[in-house]
Amino acid sequence: MPPIKSKQSIKNRNYWRSLYDSTDATTETEQLDNEFPHGREVDPNSVSRREFLRLMGASMALAGATTGCRRPVRKIVPYVKQPEEIIPGIPLNYATTMTVGDEAFGLLVESHEGRPTKIEGNPQHPSSLGKAGTIHQASILGLYDPDRSKNITQNKSAKSWTELLDFWAGKRADHLANKGEELAILSESFVSPSLSRLKNEFKKNFPNATWATYEPVSNENIYKGVAGATGESLRPDYRFNKADVVLSLDSDFLLTESDSVINAGRFAQARRVEGRKDTMNRLYVAESAFSTTGAMADHRVPVHSAEIGALVGQLSRALAVRGVKVPDVKSLTSLTSAPVDDKWISTLAGDLVAARGRSLIVAGRKQPGAVHALVFALNSALGNVGRTVTYTEPKDAEFPNRESLSGLVARMNVGAVSTLIILGGDPVYNAPADSNFETALSSVPLTMHLSSRVNETSKKVDWHIPQAHFLESWSDARSTDGTVSIVQPLIAPLFKAYTALELISLITTGKNQPGYEIVRSTWSELLGPLDYEKKWRRVLHDGLLKNSALPQRKPKLNIVSLARYLENTPPLSGSRGGVEIVFLTSPTVYDGRYANVGWLQELPDPITKLVWDNVATISPATARKLGVDIKRYGKLGVKKYETVKLTINGNTLELPVFVVAGQADDSVSVYLGYGQESIGKIGNGVGGNVYPLRTLANPDFDSGLAIEKTGNTFPLSLTQDYHRMEGRPLIREATLEEYRETGKLEPPLVKADLKPLWKERKYESSPQWGMAIDLNVCTGCNACTIACQSENNIPVVGKKDAGYGREMHWIRLDRYFFGDEANPQIAYQPVPCMHCENAPCEQVCPVQATNHDKEGLNVMVYNRCIGTRYCSNNCNYKVRRFNFFNYTKDTPEIQKMGNNPDVTIRFRGVMEKCTYCTQRINQAKIKSKVNGTPLKDGDIKTACQQTCPVDAIVFGDISDEKSAVTEVKNQDRDYVLLGEWHTKPRTSYQGKLRNPNPDLG
Amino acid sequence: MNTAESNISPSAPVDAPLITGNQSFSSVTRRISEIVEVELKKTPKAWYIAFSITSSLAGMMTLMIGWLLWEGTGIWGLNNPVGWGWAIVNFVFWVGIGHAGTLISAILFLFRQRWRTSINRFAEAMTIFAVICAGIFPGIHVGRAWVAYYMFPIPNQMDMWPNFRSPLLWDVFAVGTYFTVSCLFWYVGLIPDLATLRDRAVNKVRKAILALFSLGWRGSNRQWRHYEKAYLILAGIATPLVLSVHSVVSMDFAVGVVPGWHTTIFPPYFVAGAIFSGFAMVMTLAIIARKVYSLEDFITMHHLENMNKIILVTGTMVGYAYACEFFIAWYGANTYERAIFINRAVGPYAWAYWTMVTCNVIVPQLFWFRRWRRNIVWMFIASILVNVGMWFERFVITVTSLSQDFMPSSWDYYTPTIFDIGIFIGSFGVFLTLFLLFLRFLPMIAMSEVKGILPEADPHYYKAQEIKDKQVIGTEGEQVQLS
Repeated sequence: MPPIKSKQSIKNRNYWRSLYDSTDATTETEQLDNEFPHGREVDPNSVSRREFLRLMGASMALAGATTGCRRPVRKIVPYVKQPEEIIPGIPLNYATTMTVGDEAFGLLVESHEGRPTKIEGNPQHPSSLGKAGTIHQASILGLYDPDRSKNITQNKSAKSWTELLDFWAGKRADHLANKGEELAILSESFVSPSLSRLKNEFKKNFPNATWATYEPVSNENIYKGVAGATGESLRPDYRFNKADVVLSLDSDFLLTESDSVINAGRFAQARRVEGRKDTMNRLYVAESAFSTTGAMADHRVPVHSAEIGALVGQLSRALAVRGVKVPDVKSLTSLTSAPVDDKWISTLAGDLVAARGRSLIVAGRKQPGAVHALVFALNSALGNVGRTVTYTEPKDAEFPNRESLSGLVARMNVGAVSTLIILGGDPVYNAPADSNFETALSSVPLTMHLSSRVNETSKKVDWHIPQAHFLESWSDARSTDGTVSIVQPLIAPLFKAYTALELISLITTGKNQPGYEIVRSTWSELLGPLDYEKKWRRVLHDGLLKNSALPQRKPKLNIVSLARYLENTPPLSGSRGGVEIVFLTSPTVYDGRYANVGWLQELPDPITKLVWDNVATISPATARKLGVDIKRYGKLGVKKYETVKLTINGNTLELPVFVVAGQADDSVSVYLGYGQESIGKIGNGVGGNVYPLRTLANPDFDSGLAIEKTGNTFPLSLTQDYHRMEGRPLIREATLEEYRETGKLEPPLVKADLKPLWKERKYESSPQWGMAIDLNVCTGCNACTIACQSENNIPVVGKKDAGYGREMHWIRLDRYFFGDEANPQIAYQPVPCMHCENAPCEQVCPVQATNHDKEGLNVMVYNRCIGTRYCSNNCNYKVRRFNFFNYTKDTPEIQKMGNNPDVTIRFRGVMEKCTYCTQRINQAKIKSKVNGTPLKDGDIKTACQQTCPVDAIVFGDISDEKSAVTEVKNQDRDYVLLGEWHTKPRTSYQGKLRNPNPDLG
Repeated sequence: MNTAESNISPSAPVDAPLITGNQSFSSVTRRISEIVEVELKKTPKAWYIAFSITSSLAGMMTLMIGWLLWEGTGIWGLNNPVGWGWAIVNFVFWVGIGHAGTLISAILFLFRQRWRTSINRFAEAMTIFAVICAGIFPGIHVGRAWVAYYMFPIPNQMDMWPNFRSPLLWDVFAVGTYFTVSCLFWYVGLIPDLATLRDRAVNKVRKAILALFSLGWRGSNRQWRHYEKAYLILAGIATPLVLSVHSVVSMDFAVGVVPGWHTTIFPPYFVAGAIFSGFAMVMTLAIIARKVYSLEDFITMHHLENMNKIILVTGTMVGYAYACEFFIAWYGANTYERAIFINRAVGPYAWAYWTMVTCNVIVPQLFWFRRWRRNIVWMFIASILVNVGMWFERFVITVTSLSQDFMPSSWDYYTPTIFDIGIFIGSFGVFLTLFLLFLRFLPMIAMSEVKGILPEADPHYYKAQEIKDKQVIGTEGEQVQLS
């Protein structure tokens, strides 16, 4: 029993990590203090004299002397002039767009009295269709992040936009004189009409200037590969809904690849089974590290990321045997090794051939361009191009290019760049180590950086310009299919912040031009002069320009181009070369840009269920070889894990090691985006920075890794320690074949003669709320968890408390492993409150703080709860969450603006849990009463249901026989969790199906 | 022995005498009263040392509770599946300890077990102090201690009413009743002794205080008649409480659905366990007190042996309950219940389970042998081990069941923090502080009752005395204390 140091526990609970670095602490922290007197807090651990006296006071309060205290009085002032359309208490929704690299994501943002509070997908937008992923929803916290930078600074002294304008006037003249010869811009990737227009203008003014684009995580390889195979620049758009057989090669298209939300939705369309006559798609996955896509697979094989090329070769031979015309290029035919069992490949090839035109091969963006080129060739040969994968010619796009970064660095090093303007990003942190960007940066006389926070790069530049959050910005973007959508602000910039548009415009024209005007002038071209204002208002309302998608192309394989491309790219390795390291995009913090978002840091990793850290994952066999104590993993009560030293290309990093069954042997995977020092109080110092292990040549995976045990241990926090389901009928599965034959799921339910001891309460009124969760389509993406967290003001508890098992998520994703250690299966189960009709929690509460209402909701009365935790103990499903501390005590004032005003903030000592979004139910009821229209099925959507990219969650009135939820509950795969305890849950599950090929047993 | 003569004197002490050392009424009064009549200045140093240690521990606990109320329940090691930890374990532990006191004073009184008189006073004191310690925990373990009064059925403007279906509410009533009755019983028992002290008091203030609390006791025949009736009635009221209180406490668990809690054997099993642990605690305290205050004549080996027999019996009952739980877990064929019992024996908390079994089932088995029953050192060690075991029993029930219940996804391990441990140790501080005060200021042995079992108190004493004399002559050489 290691004694827990009170100091430490409180420090970690306090999820703001540390204050700014000392270099610019003076100004920043002082400003922070002035701006947010409560934003920074005195460390509660150091018991000062005053604290001690207060503490003594609390001890004295045992006598109960505090009961007569008055609450503080706060005065509010009504509007003097009521703004149009704002009715206090009634939220408004605005459409906008969030961009991540070249992805554009249409959103609908809920705004309460001018404060954005909740982000949902825009139902009209083609890349969201009303759904949203974890990072999109959590980006609301990025807006209210108190660690954002608040001032333009020149060498750390505060400056104004006008001063920047004046400063640039002189510099601009110099650069104009030599046509921008010594001027360079390093931007993030974008697909935006306005940005693209401004870039062209910039190029017109400064024709000799350098424009480089870098993204640490991007689809660069895909674009290059497709261009190689077709000779054209094209952007793929996968139609998983039309594919019966899908092969994923190291591609986590359900979670961490581009457009994962819409791709998961499309995939689910082909996977959904409503009755025993339905069929579903079949998913083959070959990957090095277990991903959510791998968890969904019907057949999964762990291979090295480096072996995927060889696997493509092996597959093409098997396809050729079956009469598929595989291009005869040397790079392909020279791949003679067989990384995967031949039977596996031949079965797969059989399936692909049988489903010509209805099959799809996707390769992950980690894979080199050559693999993508060959995959295009195979898709083309199988007749899939134009059917299950379509292409568009990108417009207004600036795709990332690693060569442009190395070219820029080379110019910087020779002194050919006198002014470098960095638009967003943090290249000092995330550029590959061998690019030596940081050294090159110091040799540039004038550097500017637009950034939302003073990050590593900002610290090294002369001018730092705060970047506005997308919810404060005017801009625009194109989605994968080319649809143009608008980025419109929900709120004026909270701090003096500017957009990339405004900065480029300043650089180019030397004038101050607001983002609104820039975007308006772009759109005046897009919309045409006819009815411009009307169309513009329509765009602002819809968030996008309808019918603006680019034409879908059906490109043909260009053998000549392909051969030339393959010759000019590094050859694909035929075999695994020792131990490889694979750099994965984090499903939570992405490339690190969201590392200061508490919700994401505390979002369990889908595979490891780790929070607040990144680790080196290895397979059990590799662990044994390394001498890592494998028994620690999946065991209760283990808090500390061994660490390993990873050495590659002369760079070393120590990371905790985590054993994941199903990982390819001798393959080590690590998440990008951790180990930052200047991202903010939350993200600083979380995990280890793996960017220095990356190289320009091999940024995604690299072989020749040396891994050794250090003998040290490191504490990790997991939200689920245990791996096995113990044969209990929690997640019930069947193969499609078995299900169609018998309709039965495994493990079988416990047969029990359920007779109540007393007269049960009848629920005869209408509506009666219930929920159904389809495990067959659930991908385990965690979007529901974040939606719930945002909707219900769920606090973040910090690493230490999460490690204790005190995370507060009202809906959690349970993950269980099945099968053998080398290649197991994973199944997910979202678990919210079951709203049992015979709720065990209700009976044991001594103060009746949890009760049933007449609509079947198990409701919590927070004011009544005294915190005995008996309800949680007696809950079969352990969905109740207890406020062990006052978790919202340290919430910065600014972040409180993002809270949902319809949901109470819970104090410490109070139990809470899923309410089926009772506030949404009541809003809908009020609305129906006011309008005099009865509640319709679908009027009420819980937050988790609303955002679920695969529509796995259905909520509604179970007393209505025609409601969607009743329909789903009537399916024969429907079952309730632990039904033999006669708790009569209102939440039920539809069993999971897998569709393995019978030939593979 | 001459059977004819035995028949003549049925009340003759055929067993070994209960009180040794040739005590008379006056020697009993003197020996017991002198302990508490020592002048304050002459209080033994050892008492001060002990008191300073125990009161420091109690003070530490108060500070820790202050921090707990200030900061939140999170300073304990509790987590999501394990919502109840040491606080509840300690509560059940202390309530259990109390039971022996009531059993000794009430049930043994009703059964006319005359040997109880030497130990009942401090067993009852122990009961009250243990219940006080137990009472600390439910109050502080709730998340919002400042509204813990919501548990009481107090009519209020908020129209709130407790949930009478909740075993926690039953607890409130059960423990409340128990504490009240125990206090009354103890106090009523004290009255004649307080009067004795009053009569012996030389200091005026002392005399006045004792006079107040002895309620004008004169020892008249009429008063004795009323007194004994009242005592009998209170014993009658207290007797069902011995069974009911821990039964109700056990329902905190048995009413829950948690596998490992939801067991019908719990009420009798808990009561047996409570008596078991209570006797062990009485034993620990009695061994120390009789040694320190040289009361070997009053608390004789005979008393200790009798208590050891009870420890053996209840320990074996507890062992039977453990076995029965396992049998039912297998026989009941409930997956979850089976799993939890297998987990107890071989899972992450196996160390706690086997500590419990060793201390509670194996250790008392030596008491089958008279030699071990009468070995002071062994019984002292055993009495402590039994309480270690009984604490672990509650830990095993509370924590292991919660740690691994229905959903393996939620399984988690519970590790106590310094505050869990500190508050538990502090509760011993409170208990021992109160006990030291009791030893110092109140007669630790019920003088009036002990006098009642002295040979002199027997109406046939003088007749018996004559017979005894003859016997002594007849069995020359035998070691007979009475002469």
